[in-house]
Amino acid sequence: MTTVAEQPDAGPTGGTVDGPVLEVEHLTKHFPIRTGLLQRTVGHVRAVDDVSFHIDRGETLALVGESGCGKTTTGRVVLRLIDPTSGTVRFDGQDLAEVDADELRGLRQRMQIIFQDPYSSLDPRMSTADIVGEGLAIHGMASGQAQLDRVTDLLEKVGLSARDLRKFPHQFSGGQRQRIGVARALATNPELIICDEAVSALDVSVQAQVLNLLKDLQTELGISYLFITHDLNVVRYIADRVAVMYLGQIVELAETEQLFTDPRHPYTRSLLSSVPIIDPELARATVRTPLEGDVPSPSSPPSGCRFHNRCPQAVERCRHYAPVLVDLNDGRQARECPEYRPEPFGLTAQSYRESELLNQGTEAGE
Amino acid sequence: MHDAVLRIAGLRTQFRTRQGTVDAVSDVSFDVRRGETVALVGESGSGKSVTALSVLQLLESTGSIADGSIVFDGRELVGLSEKEMRDVRGREISMIFQDPSTCLDPVFTIEDQLVEALTIHGTARSDARGRALELLRMVRMPDPETRLNAYPHELSGGQRQRAMIATALALDPQLIIADEPTTALDVTVQAQILDLIRTLQAETGAAVLFVTHDLGVVAEIADRVVVMYAGRVVEQGSVFQVLKDPRNPYTAALLASMPGAVAGTGQRLTPIEGVVPSLLDMPSGCRFAPRCPHAWDRCHEADPPLAAFDLNRESRCWLEVDGAVDGVGTAEVVG
Amino acid sequence: MIEYVVRRILSGLIVLFLLSTFLFFVMRAVPGDVVRLQLADAGSVTDERMAEMEAELGLDRPALAQYASWLGGVVRGDLGDSLWERRPVTEMIIERFPVTFELAFLSIVVAVGLGIVTGVASAIRRGTVTDDGLRVASVLGLSVPNFFLALLMITSASVWFNWVAPLSYRRPWDDLGVNLQQMAMPAIALGVSVAAAIARLTRSSMLEVLGSDYIRTVRAKGASSRLVNYKHALRNSLIPILTLIGLQFGALLGGTVILESIFGLPGVGSMIFRAVEQRDYPVIQAGAILYGTIFVAVNIAVDITYGLIDPRIRRS
Repeated sequence: MTTVAEQPDAGPTGGTVDGPVLEVEHLTKHFPIRTGLLQRTVGHVRAVDDVSFHIDRGETLALVGESGCGKTTTGRVVLRLIDPTSGTVRFDGQDLAEVDADELRGLRQRMQIIFQDPYSSLDPRMSTADIVGEGLAIHGMASGQAQLDRVTDLLEKVGLSARDLRKFPHQFSGGQRQRIGVARALATNPELIICDEAVSALDVSVQAQVLNLLKDLQTELGISYLFITHDLNVVRYIADRVAVMYLGQIVELAETEQLFTDPRHPYTRSLLSSVPIIDPELARATVRTPLEGDVPSPSSPPSGCRFHNRCPQAVERCRHYAPVLVDLNDGRQARECPEYRPEPFGLTAQSYRESELLNQGTEAGE
Repeated sequence: MHDAVLRIAGLRTQFRTRQGTVDAVSDVSFDVRRGETVALVGESGSGKSVTALSVLQLLESTGSIADGSIVFDGRELVGLSEKEMRDVRGREISMIFQDPSTCLDPVFTIEDQLVEALTIHGTARSDARGRALELLRMVRMPDPETRLNAYPHELSGGQRQRAMIATALALDPQLIIADEPTTALDVTVQAQILDLIRTLQAETGAAVLFVTHDLGVVAEIADRVVVMYAGRVVEQGSVFQVLKDPRNPYTAALLASMPGAVAGTGQRLTPIEGVVPSLLDMPSGCRFAPRCPHAWDRCHEADPPLAAFDLNRESRCWLEVDGAVDGVGTAEVVG
Repeated sequence: MIEYVVRRILSGLIVLFLLSTFLFFVMRAVPGDVVRLQLADAGSVTDERMAEMEAELGLDRPALAQYASWLGGVVRGDLGDSLWERRPVTEMIIERFPVTFELAFLSIVVAVGLGIVTGVASAIRRGTVTDDGLRVASVLGLSVPNFFLALLMITSASVWFNWVAPLSYRRPWDDLGVNLQQMAMPAIALGVSVAAAIARLTRSSMLEVLGSDYIRTVRAKGASSRLVNYKHALRNSLIPILTLIGLQFGALLGGTVILESIFGLPGVGSMIFRAVEQRDYPVIQAGAILYGTIFVAVNIAVDITYGLIDPRIRRS
């Protein structure tokens, strides 16, 4: 650890310590659909449509939703792996659109990503030392023995060891590869890590190892996570706040427990009630109304409320009226659904489970 | 004895690899009774899919059943000729696969593929067309007349899985093997498909062998559960018993590592340390011993047998066998 | 789809234009002089006679001017006159094209028939002696040049069977029997290497499809191996095979140049061969344009055929 350039808390670029690490405002990404002889643009896939959120330091924000909801694209745009159509992304107070290439490279070192697939996201021809050390080399943070020492530290931090330095990706199991992915992301002392379905390809027993690792690293290093996933159980375990996306838009954003116990949007509630309940008695006792149909294509989202064609509570005017995202109390946001009634079918699965768990807790306490 | 439609006993399935022959599963025994849903659960490498494919003898060319018996409806399937197995496949036992986007032939219409399932087993083509539409209605395919002429890529994931299920139901089989049928689907669509499978099972009375890695799905759909680890059955019993009161340390550990089981209660996940052993390098004693929090000397020395206790419950653990000595439960060693 | 085809035709035209332009100037840069060759043929080469002939053939003008007038002719459908035969190249091509067409057609039949049958047999019997044998045979087929194979066939037929194909060419509609005797050996010699390439691709393509999820689904329905192999696997394997056929068609056309000369067939190929020897520029250029056009057309046809096989392409 001799020549490693440690990232000071307040960056040299003059960022503030107290402000959010990431602020995303009105972020929009439309992919053109081209066709024909002249490649005319005949429409747009509205992958991300006016999305705003922020992440505080040391906080985990989960971005959840089904396929095609735009969560992955949001992550890529935040990292500037792709350019937004409009909207701003501010990292540590700096607008990513206004920094030059050098500054962007500097910021990239402070934002990292962990990908889903531990099999394809590591270069099979590079050793562990090279994979993890690459970021240090690129950003000129360490070289030679110092780099090797730093890599060893990182490997130990994620539960691997110096013996793994010279190994290649195929010599590791899926969980170990994902640890290498975590070590690589940690190498440049990032303040923000975007976890794009980072544990989705792992078996549950191994997934738990990686989730705990991510939590421990957060406690230890104060890292913020943008946790992109479709797995609501994982969200509930790891996230402080949750943004639920549907067809490119955020439909609800709230603190995790609030969202799970008291959803304020019909889609959130439907999504939650679709999650299998591990307790077979509860699973059978719970009345559920599965959503009809599939997620529509983001290239032609339904008119009015985008959820109306699958919504169990939709009425005629939902076809025309597009609810806007409003601030509720406690920093919550939800699209203001005029038809939403908190618990129309009596107990929802989630609240039922809550009360059950509470009962169990009191029984155990007695 | 209960009325088992499928009885697997001592199944050992081998694969030829460059490093020699390996047993992907060994000593696998369980029953599926008429009309019930049995979940076969395990992580990757547990052998759950190999077991399922062994039943229909649809293993890759390097795999083969080395030992054991698979009795379906009173008839031994192991040792049947390929031609005899073809009569069983699709007609008496049918199968639903994981990824509906790759499991339907892309160059044929849904109708072609449904009709084929029927004509293979002798239905007249003219009758098959009518039946195909009927099947799509059964699986609640939206706008079934149009969907008949659609190609797989023109359907959504959920619709493709419905088409797949329709194919499996074509000849009213007694047993449907579903290999991770909802794993590739979005959670709201998964809920629909689980609901559909439950409904259709009630309508047709078919038994379902449901292969999955997701204990949440197990809780939703299964009557009984067979838990596999590293090519072995480690525990089985009713879904309530196994998930609410797991007896095998592996099942308990698996539950403790699931975010859905502890989330929101402020508890920390308890991962299972280490990795699933490689088929080429199995531990000599209990296969879970290297990762087991309860393991002691004996576990590393000898492989425990699958021991029965209570009614219809089994666990493969020395705790269970020794429990009998200590007077805990009424365990007996199953041959 | 129509827009796509139009786009392909346009890009094909651009390729043809570049190709002929390139050839025009390169041929003139290559040593050897058509005037000198012709005069040497006639027996007297004098400077005076050469200048006279150059003027007669229009070769005394600057290259760019020659190029401009040639291109102008092409646009109007006039490919120019042969410098040796002194008659329109178009006329020569019309005369000779049926021979080349027949040869190309027969050899593609040999290539596709032999290639697909061998490839499928090899894939279905993977890992057996049959498979090994067929794979060795296809490597041999790929590595033996077609002209060598042709000479080998001619020699062995005459030495061992004392058989030689009738020497003077007959058109199929004049005497089909004689025509086929004359065509058999060149068609096989030309088709074999393409067949070998097709066989190898068919094998790997079939194996990939046979390992796919939907094939397992078909097997789970209780389908016979015949149904699995021919209805589902072969049809899905055809896309890459078609692409290869399109690409190999170029090699096959190139092969006609040599083989027609070896077997003495009066086709476009042997015409081009002689034109190159004689520096008969208009003929060479016309041949290149003709072969290029055929190649582009075949590949467009291949693309259209994709749609017939694969609905995902048809409807996009």
